[in-house]
Amino acid sequence: MDQTVAAPGSLAGPGALGPSGSSPAAARASRVTLALRWLRRISGIVPFAVYVTLGLLLPMVAVAVGAFQDNSGNFTLSNVHAATHGVYLHGFWQSIILSVVTAVLPGIFGLLIAYAVFTAKRGTILRQANVTASGVFANFGGVPLAFLFVATLGASGLATRWLADIGFNPYDHGFNLYSLAGVIVVYFYFQVPLMVLVILPALEGLRPAWREAAENLGARSWDYWRFVGGPVLLPSFLGCVLLLFGSALSAYATAEALTSGTIPLTSIQIGSFLNGNVIAGQENVGKALGLGMVVIIAIAMIIYVALQRRAAKWLR
Amino acid sequence: MAAIARPREAGRQEAGPRRSYPVWRWVILIVAGVYFLVPLFAALRFAGIGAFGSVISETGFTSSLGLSVRLAIVTTVVTIVLMLPTAVYVHLRLPKLRRLLEGITILPIVIPPVVLIVGVLQIAPNFLKSTPYLLALEYVILAMPFAYRAIDAGLRALDLKTIVEASSSLGAGWISTLWRVVMPNLRTAVLSAVVLTVALVLGEFTMASLALFQTFPVWIVVNDQTSGQVSVAASLLALFVTWLFLLLITMIGTRQARRTGGGQVTLFVVARQQTRGD
Amino acid sequence: MTTNTARNTAATAAGTGPAARSGGTSVLLQDLTRAFGATRALDGLSIEIAPGELVALLGPSGCGKTTALRIVAGFETADTGSVLVDGKDISSVPASRRDMGMVFQSYSLFPNMPALDNVAFGLRMRKIGASQRRKRAAELLDMVGLAPQARQYPHQLSGGQQQRVALARALAIEPRVLLLDEPLSALDAKVRLQLREQIRTLQQRLGTTTLFVTHDQEEALSMADRVGVMRQGKLEQIAAPDELYQNPATAFVAEFVGVMNRIPGELQGSGNVTALGSTVPVRGQAPDGATAVDVLVRPEGLAMEVRANGNGIVTTRTFLGSVTRVGVLLDGDIAVQVDKPSTEAAALAPGSSVSLSLPAEPVHVAPRQTADS
Repeated sequence: MDQTVAAPGSLAGPGALGPSGSSPAAARASRVTLALRWLRRISGIVPFAVYVTLGLLLPMVAVAVGAFQDNSGNFTLSNVHAATHGVYLHGFWQSIILSVVTAVLPGIFGLLIAYAVFTAKRGTILRQANVTASGVFANFGGVPLAFLFVATLGASGLATRWLADIGFNPYDHGFNLYSLAGVIVVYFYFQVPLMVLVILPALEGLRPAWREAAENLGARSWDYWRFVGGPVLLPSFLGCVLLLFGSALSAYATAEALTSGTIPLTSIQIGSFLNGNVIAGQENVGKALGLGMVVIIAIAMIIYVALQRRAAKWLR
Repeated sequence: MAAIARPREAGRQEAGPRRSYPVWRWVILIVAGVYFLVPLFAALRFAGIGAFGSVISETGFTSSLGLSVRLAIVTTVVTIVLMLPTAVYVHLRLPKLRRLLEGITILPIVIPPVVLIVGVLQIAPNFLKSTPYLLALEYVILAMPFAYRAIDAGLRALDLKTIVEASSSLGAGWISTLWRVVMPNLRTAVLSAVVLTVALVLGEFTMASLALFQTFPVWIVVNDQTSGQVSVAASLLALFVTWLFLLLITMIGTRQARRTGGGQVTLFVVARQQTRGD
Repeated sequence: MTTNTARNTAATAAGTGPAARSGGTSVLLQDLTRAFGATRALDGLSIEIAPGELVALLGPSGCGKTTALRIVAGFETADTGSVLVDGKDISSVPASRRDMGMVFQSYSLFPNMPALDNVAFGLRMRKIGASQRRKRAAELLDMVGLAPQARQYPHQLSGGQQQRVALARALAIEPRVLLLDEPLSALDAKVRLQLREQIRTLQQRLGTTTLFVTHDQEEALSMADRVGVMRQGKLEQIAAPDELYQNPATAFVAEFVGVMNRIPGELQGSGNVTALGSTVPVRGQAPDGATAVDVLVRPEGLAMEVRANGNGIVTTRTFLGSVTRVGVLLDGDIAVQVDKPSTEAAALAPGSSVSLSLPAEPVHVAPRQTADS
């Protein structure tokens, strides 16, 4: 599928060249023709390229450049310094811890759910409903979610009252929905479905023939998972956990709606810069924070892509 | 799909050929069900049926919802107009750039909206900054990964090169081929892209609130100060409508796809999927 | 199409052929039935496999042959009936303890292990020490001719190589029974032929009782000691390949194995049938109902002579080596094929008029096939 098609009425393929001459003038002319031809071919994606540049690359460059500028536009490292110390460093730590916890635990839980759904008979309503539900819940974050949980686990929430009736009021034991712990509980709501969605293709890549061959050779369930299923699934699983990590780190809306910006999380802190709650002289620290966040996620994504490639080789 | 051997009828003690562990599976699903459904139920109880009625009459409901819908429409149109021809063009004429394109469309996932809006507000010209349509234009960037993947999946299932060649060998011009041959086969994919984009715009809070525009999600938060119950009711409404919408689209898309021999519609492809024969 | 008789004779002489080894395993499928919803995949299947024998189950897709194999392997359970190995009922024994080696249709090698570890897997499950199982695995890879590929991963191997590793893996555990589920269907023609030979040679050398499932009749006939032809869950006939070809028990078997012509004829009440101007006895059971039937006759079974105003016209000639397959269009638009030695066939130009007739031997008949069926 890797051959170029000459669309009807368009230029011929690379085989047909311009005037084949041996004189330097002819050679120059054919180079120009080739260049023009190349330009025409590229022209199809110019609109896209322009849009991405204006909408994505330029803003990012602005952030990256601004991270190293002070108010008068001179180069400085003070923003970066501020971003990696004190309350902002604390913010990074909190964000990373939050993201790791809400990547690994929902990752495991999501894997189990995906497997439970997957081993059900295919094509059933259960499976379809699950996939659709996962799709909706995975994209359902932010504001509505926060409110749902306020109604559930808030100080006078429904579940809180139920639990209190049983004699275990979580608030008496230090739990607070509007704290980091609460945010973690809420994040599960979209992280788990996200995991279900992204791990399903990997599960589908587990051929039944492997399971049967292993059984035929004397393996029981545990042996199969230990020697075949587990190792084959591991790269995909790790990759998906990384994806969840990135998703949790960049999340803003849920934490903001829930806590109104009172928890030190990097994304919240960046937001507060736009709201004007800044110390004079540190306007661009927000940009340094943004840059830092992008760097962390970029690293995670690079590892993710590498893992997926490895997995694809095996799950072919 | 592993064959699920039915366990032998009563009378046999030793485990015959067995594959499924029903007990364990149901435990997981019940726990999951509880976690996901209880908040919905709690929200319903908290809001009270009355709140749903008063949602519509709250100040700002109509205007914010109207704004979100307008933004959704603009975003969707721009996204499709931008991504569809680009995707088709790359598939046909520049296949070597497909990898690059895939990589570029992953970027918006890597760059958090909260960071993006900082940069956008920095470089946007003032005339843009004053209209909410700035958001619509940026939402196109956010929607790009999902829209591109949906269209790309549709194109891959298509063997584009062959049908375009067949069409042109039968005498169809370029436009004709695109309109009559390629587009109809991409209906499902485009539908998926549209749905994903709409869902994204209607739910987007981060960029809207930081750019100080009152879209529907922003309104819900603001309104919480005055009436928590209405906010919860509005959230539930948003969730329910989105879910219904998506389910409907999936069903229609699957029915259509089945008619033309395709498979089930998967709306939610987030990670890279390697299809066989890639 | 090589028959097995010559090979078997040589093998028996060498003392390694079927039944030459004492202690081989016998397998008995007793009256197996299995239904999936409304469809009966197996309908009272009974087969006896002698120690060291290779029995092929042959039939169109959906005939139940794979289901039968999977029941023997333990991946499915029969609704009624049982499987006996060496006289013992193993129906309640889980698949992992049946001590059978299975080769699947494709892609069954564990992708995360190199070939050697794949082959050694079964030995590892049996708690055999590392160095010992590596040694045995290496021996087996050598037996299938893949010793240099021991450290390669499945995705680095070709289809044919993968199946050879799968075979080595199944044989490494010295199974009592070897089960093969269409192992060659996913391979290209050339590799298929090579592997056919290899499987058969190996099987005879080791004397392992083998059940082989395929839809390719050439494969079945060239490899097996006996072939069981199945259809809709039932066994139509089980016999040695040449017996199957020359004395098919039913019309289905007659048509499924080898090439068969269909010539319209009329049943006579006396157990005879008339076609092409002659009357011959009917073989086996004549179908009830109409007297209009089709007579089944092999290409080499038709007599043909050049004659003006005959009952047919030559349409095509296909050179097959020593024999040429001549296509003839009979009166009434019936197309048949006749095999003739190539020297004779040279004289038959397309368009020549010929006369075909049935030799004076019993023939199979089947219900008349109309143009729409």
